[in-house]
Amino acid sequence: MKSPAASTRIAEYALAIDTSAGTTVSVLSMGAVLAELNYLEPMTHSERIGSAIEKVLKDSGIQAKQIATVVVGVGPGPFTGLRVGMAAARYFAFGAKAQLVGVCSLDSIALDFYLANPEQSSLLVTTDARRKEVFWATYSSVVDGVPVRTHGPAVNKFEDIQTLVDVSTMAITELGVRAGALGQIAFAQGLTPQGTNSDITPIYLREPDAVPSKGKKVSG
Amino acid sequence: MAIEIRQATGLDLPEIMKLEIASFANDAWPEETFHSELDAPHTYYILALEGEELVGYAGLSKLAGSDQADIQTIAVREDKRGLGIGRKLMDALTLEAKNRDAKEIFLEVRADNSVAQKLYKVFGFKQIGTRKKYYQPDGVDAFIMKTDLIGKEKAELVVLGIETSCDETGVGIVRGNQLLANIISSSMDKHAIFGGVVPEIAARAHLEALTPVLNEALEKANLTLDEIDAIAVTNGPGLAGALMVGVGAAKALSVATGKPIYAVNHLVGHVGADILDRGELHTPTIALLVSGGHTSLLLVRDLLNDVVLLGETIDDAAGEAFDKVSRVLGLSYPGGPEIDRVAKDANPAAIRFPRGLTLPKDMEKHRYDFSFSGLKTAVARHVELAESKGEEISIGDVAASFREAVVDVLIKKAISACKDFDVPRLLLGGGVVANSRLREVAKAQCEANGIELRIPPFSLCTDNGAMIAAIGAQLIMAGRAPSSLNFSAESTLPVTIVQS
Repeated sequence: MKSPAASTRIAEYALAIDTSAGTTVSVLSMGAVLAELNYLEPMTHSERIGSAIEKVLKDSGIQAKQIATVVVGVGPGPFTGLRVGMAAARYFAFGAKAQLVGVCSLDSIALDFYLANPEQSSLLVTTDARRKEVFWATYSSVVDGVPVRTHGPAVNKFEDIQTLVDVSTMAITELGVRAGALGQIAFAQGLTPQGTNSDITPIYLREPDAVPSKGKKVSG
Repeated sequence: MAIEIRQATGLDLPEIMKLEIASFANDAWPEETFHSELDAPHTYYILALEGEELVGYAGLSKLAGSDQADIQTIAVREDKRGLGIGRKLMDALTLEAKNRDAKEIFLEVRADNSVAQKLYKVFGFKQIGTRKKYYQPDGVDAFIMKTDLIGKEKAELVVLGIETSCDETGVGIVRGNQLLANIISSSMDKHAIFGGVVPEIAARAHLEALTPVLNEALEKANLTLDEIDAIAVTNGPGLAGALMVGVGAAKALSVATGKPIYAVNHLVGHVGADILDRGELHTPTIALLVSGGHTSLLLVRDLLNDVVLLGETIDDAAGEAFDKVSRVLGLSYPGGPEIDRVAKDANPAAIRFPRGLTLPKDMEKHRYDFSFSGLKTAVARHVELAESKGEEISIGDVAASFREAVVDVLIKKAISACKDFDVPRLLLGGGVVANSRLREVAKAQCEANGIELRIPPFSLCTDNGAMIAAIGAQLIMAGRAPSSLNFSAESTLPVTIVQS
């Protein structure tokens, strides 16, 4: 799924989509949010996604064909919802002839946190992974508009994270994923020498629940 | 009973007037007015008949040389409303307006008649004005509504169909009734070690396959996305997480391109597949849809307006039974082809396995339903019993006898539906139609009973996007408005809802 990083520079208008938690979409111009919509419900992605994109375009006064980059949150997040946004991003980019870039969904939370708390150094970001576990990542700072991840993303029981990383001095945030922040990160990445992360592989972190068939014995 | 549409004549006037007075009370036209309307060369009046009985009528007016047609009236008998008769009448009037070279259709509707307004909206009518107190003596306003017929001939429109309801990612492209591309990417191999479809694995595979399959379909059809006129997508029934991948993708494609979107029923899609094979669908027909996810018997009087679920499996789907029995016999996945292979030249009468829901007491309640769970268990018990006694079993005979039991029930119930409803046509669909014995018995039984058998090519029988595109094209040709962007993926969508 990787395409040459050097070729991806975020062009003027971008659409950002993330369904790793709720449904969040945003239209940006050169990294500045023109419009954004956030629906918090965790179950209505496939109903919401079409009209949410349509509305955010309308609110920003931008036409679909003007969108040159689609930024998509690649998770981690509950799979069924996560895929709706990723599927939508793929076909929107196809339809609008836009480039597609992926950003770790948790990074958007880190960016928002550091913008509000510039003095804070280390940060633990967690989101609900269901089954009494959390998706998590830790960060040290924001450099040139891009959060610097130190661990993760990973999935664990919350109480087990401290056995893997020293979180005693870390701030913990309750903020949620925001498409506008994803778009800002992608734009900032596009300006760095490393270029934008164009990996759009979903971050699942868990294998599908299925047990290989043992064969035979189905009666009883 | 089936609804027939035919043109009205003066002889029908007495019956029409009865319904006119019952339907419109204070607004009813006098008989003389109706008579001159029926006789006029610029009008077209049609009747909806159930047997001999008049259950609805409608009329169109189109002056020669004018681009405008007007819907003069439409009525459906009170006890027959909500059955799609209004839609049929509208379908026929819209077609006639086109044949008479109208570019737009106008109508007036009572402001307080929201049911009729809803029907018109389905056909693309929009309110463009109001006539104050038009309906007297009630003093009710009339809404003026209009729909445009301008544009490319609807039968020539190109529709892209997206299907992700189970383990096949399908994108198909049709122009009207003509197949242009049908690309399918199956995740079947990834499910093999699990002995059945794992929904999460299927959904992950859909996401990966979406773009390559779309690209390949456009390439095959030799079209660019700009040349597509509309998008259709399966929104149910099927695996929820799998459906949502296609629904999310299709909605975004619709917004990105500005093309209208049609949310289509997967099972009706299987019936529509025959259109792409022979260029049209002959109705009425009985349809037997058999796959790893479905075992359904349908009565199709009209593809868009009148599809009835006669029966379905109450436990395992037939394809699922093949998979499970294949496992019991130590064979691989998918089970259908494996069972077919070992059953070749074996004795299908070696073991008399049970035929589910065929006993008289079951037939009362489940005449057209199926059950394969008991059969699967009977096969497993047979094998276990033989093993415990240390007896050698013939896998071929067990497979052949099991297959015979499945095929026997499927075809018997399908044929009896044909006879019960006096429908001389049987259409097969779904992946299990690849089974050689099913095709053989269907052919023999249909021949013996004077029933025409339709089996589309396998690439159209298994889950595919082309059949979804075909239904989208039919909806457009019937003048249906696109779906709103807010429809959901419905894992248990009933077959009566053709478009969401």
